[in-house]
Amino acid sequence: MSAFELDQVQVVLDDVRVLDDVSCVLDAQRIAVVGENGSGKSTFARLVGGLIPPSGGRIRVLGLDPVKQAKELRRRIAFVFSNPDAQIIMPTVAEDVAFSLRSQRLGTDESTRRVREALEHFGLADLADRPAHSLSGGQKQLLALCGAFVRRPELVIADEPTAYLDARHSRRVADHLFADLGHRLLLVTHDLELARRCDVALHFADGRLVSVGPAATVVPEYEASLV
Amino acid sequence: MTALYRPGRTPLHRLPAGPKALGFAVVVLAVSLLPTRWEASVAALAVAAATYVFLGPGLRELVAQTYGLRWILLIVFAGQLIFSGLMPAATNTARVGAAILLATLVMLTTRVTDLLAALERGLQPLRRLGVDPQRASLLFCTVLTTVPVLGRLALEVREAQRARGGRGVRIFAMTFTVVALKHADQLGEALAARGVD
Repeated sequence: MSAFELDQVQVVLDDVRVLDDVSCVLDAQRIAVVGENGSGKSTFARLVGGLIPPSGGRIRVLGLDPVKQAKELRRRIAFVFSNPDAQIIMPTVAEDVAFSLRSQRLGTDESTRRVREALEHFGLADLADRPAHSLSGGQKQLLALCGAFVRRPELVIADEPTAYLDARHSRRVADHLFADLGHRLLLVTHDLELARRCDVALHFADGRLVSVGPAATVVPEYEASLV
Repeated sequence: MTALYRPGRTPLHRLPAGPKALGFAVVVLAVSLLPTRWEASVAALAVAAATYVFLGPGLRELVAQTYGLRWILLIVFAGQLIFSGLMPAATNTARVGAAILLATLVMLTTRVTDLLAALERGLQPLRRLGVDPQRASLLFCTVLTTVPVLGRLALEVREAQRARGGRGVRIFAMTFTVVALKHADQLGEALAARGVD
């Protein structure tokens, strides 16, 4: 069983075919998704994360059907989006991280311990009681990562997680995403340096998957096509 | 009025969230039902002030919260002054101020997580009537966290409008509505992504 199995998958949103005939079988640990704006990258990420259903074709993620087994799938994956503001659910930093554990029904002590460890790991321990919306953009994105990783997901789907960040925070966020914590990473990015750090890359154009292969090959080819 | 929680070890901090919220709800209701007499308003203000100073986060927080309410109190006072006269306006405004200050104390001394859990427990009996306690308490939380975001978005829309030389409430309202709806979409996606169905 591979981590991602897609067979002739289509996604139609508002009568527009945003993904068309996508077929691939992937089992790499770190997968980059590259392509121009509107090429279908983010739709692909949402599709494999079970946030939008396919309009046609067959899809399995971590051996699960993202539509019929959406709840189980979401327990095993975590998302990081580009806009950190839209990811904050709770008023304070510690509470927002704890919110991620809510669906796991852990005991208070276990939950508190995991939140504390995660905050320390992401360098947010001193900000635990701060209002989450008062953080800087970079700190908010670290909080989003913290909220994602505290669940110990098997798969992290990150959709342009460094888009709004300065160079320092981009590097910190990337280092956390690429840290060896036993998770798979599906990274949608315009940052080709980050894409090169992945094992495999997918190149999308006009809603179609135009190439799949080692990031060391696909990313330079995509870069060359931009000239 | 968001993220008001102030960490501390006061008697109010130590009270369990559910009974505390219920107790304050009763007190606030009692203050709202007081007769329109200056003695009653002074008593309500005295209770609020004493609770801050002796059981809660202290005098400095009381002053800060009162200062934060100045515009609301001014609007309430002006409205009452026009329709009811000076004395009823003063007593009613004092009563409203006392009620808000007391209600704010719950937020100041309780983590939202604890309030959320208490609310979920409190709403359990309504499950038979089709109310989903988890959803209801989550709604409460998202309202709290969305207020500052909408404030910031409004500011950004206003700045963008100014930068392009645009004016007018109608254009602002339209743009702000679109931006707010987009935020709602993203928030819904983030909730789903974090395991909320």
